[in-house]
Amino acid sequence: MMAEVKIKKFKFFFLILCIIQLFYIFHFRSGFKYEIIKNPFNESSGISYALHPSVIESNDFLKKQKAINFNLSESLKKDTYLYQRTIEFNYPIRINESSKLVFFLNTEDIPNTCKVIETGKYLKLTQC
Amino acid sequence: MTKDNFHEKITLVLSFLILNNYLLLSLNFSLLLIKINFLIFLVTVLIFYSKNFFENPFLKIFFLFIIFICLGTPTFDWDPRSIWLFHAKRIFYDQSIFSVMDNYAGFSRNDYPNLAPAFASSLASLVGHWNEVFPKLSFALMFLPPLILTYVFLKDTQYLIFLSIVFFTIGKYLFNGWADGLVAVYFCLSAFLMYLLIVSNNNFLKKKILFYLIAFCFFVTLTLIKNEGIALLFILFATTFFIKLYKGELRKDISKLVFLSISFLPIILWKLFCYSKGIGNDHYYNANMLLNLLARLDDLNNYKLILYFLLLNEKFLFSLLFFLISFWINRNKELLGFVSIVAISYIFILLFLYLATPDDLYFHLNSSAARVIKSLSFLVAFFGLYNLTNRKIKTV
Repeated sequence: MMAEVKIKKFKFFFLILCIIQLFYIFHFRSGFKYEIIKNPFNESSGISYALHPSVIESNDFLKKQKAINFNLSESLKKDTYLYQRTIEFNYPIRINESSKLVFFLNTEDIPNTCKVIETGKYLKLTQC
Repeated sequence: MTKDNFHEKITLVLSFLILNNYLLLSLNFSLLLIKINFLIFLVTVLIFYSKNFFENPFLKIFFLFIIFICLGTPTFDWDPRSIWLFHAKRIFYDQSIFSVMDNYAGFSRNDYPNLAPAFASSLASLVGHWNEVFPKLSFALMFLPPLILTYVFLKDTQYLIFLSIVFFTIGKYLFNGWADGLVAVYFCLSAFLMYLLIVSNNNFLKKKILFYLIAFCFFVTLTLIKNEGIALLFILFATTFFIKLYKGELRKDISKLVFLSISFLPIILWKLFCYSKGIGNDHYYNANMLLNLLARLDDLNNYKLILYFLLLNEKFLFSLLFFLISFWINRNKELLGFVSIVAISYIFILLFLYLATPDDLYFHLNSSAARVIKSLSFLVAFFGLYNLTNRKIKTV
């Protein structure tokens, strides 16, 4: 009888421990967003939390232009974060060194050979 | 053993379907077949949930919560975004695991094994589009086979303690799209099956073909999740081989070892494919690892730094303490020897790899040691628990 009560207490302890651990992971370690769980299968779900707005902007521009490839300015290529995230997020639209569509930062000077197609909050899409 | 081997069968079916998804994508089967394969996986999970819900309710309830968290979190980190989910996205759009052949976006480590990304891409195919949230759910689903199998050996309160160990050592890696949690769990269960089926002498499971098939599936999965898995499985085989050789029992079990070693074949084929097409991480292939190793070999501070990052990890220390206490209470020399050799071998391999890294040593350790050591933390904590439960069974 005593042993049974002991086992039940032991079980209860670990049940509570598991619940506390899960709550800790959920609350402090997950980055959980109620906005996302409302519609996790939506195509644009979670984008604003996962990516810098400039990366999202690049995708908006490329979709509008129905582009199949793009290129980045030298200063954008040097920014590892923007370079990698732009490539990942825009796939299947690929980065291509010979693409005529080139992104520049708004703060960058555009070469004379390029014509600005669209200007956003962070980026300029040009045709070179 | 569970009633009608229900958990064992579910484990085998789920493991097989994960590998079959990879095979279908490798052989360029139609999208419809790939979708059907994933649907069967989901139906099997539903069967697991619906058939006798109160058998193993803790996993069922807690895993639903893991799915809930997974579907409420975006993919933040570099590894999940730039490696695993980017590979999955490429497979989703190109419908082939060989799309990496063009070596596009070299930073994404195109030569890494693609089992988990292939599974994520199939979930996206089933849903019909890609997004930044749900594809990583497939990574979480891949945890189910080893978690279900554990119920065969650890029941009731023991299973609750096991889940507590999973949450403690694996934590957010259960749902955030990293592959390190998967490596840790598959490695541990692979080691466990290797111990029960080959190393241990007095185990009734040795006659059950079902467990050999599960072990085979787990071994293949381990090697196809991440490169670490190849080293870890190699350690398991080498350790088992030497233990059997030492005991003079190698001849008895050699056929089983040969059968299980076929599990290396898929990853060998993948690596041969990458090598033949020149696919790889330029950074690592071009850097001369031997030169890096030689340059760091004679500086004691490098060893201190590596061991500091690897062994002074708080989760590893807790797990190790639990392991030592467990084996102090129940001195199972055979099990202690097996786990110790595996763990020490892995630490030596890590020591070698870190000394040879082309990256800055501190940067590399700081960005990876806590993840890499998860496999050992989970291994020692799991075997500590198994050893304690074995004692209970003996004393009853």
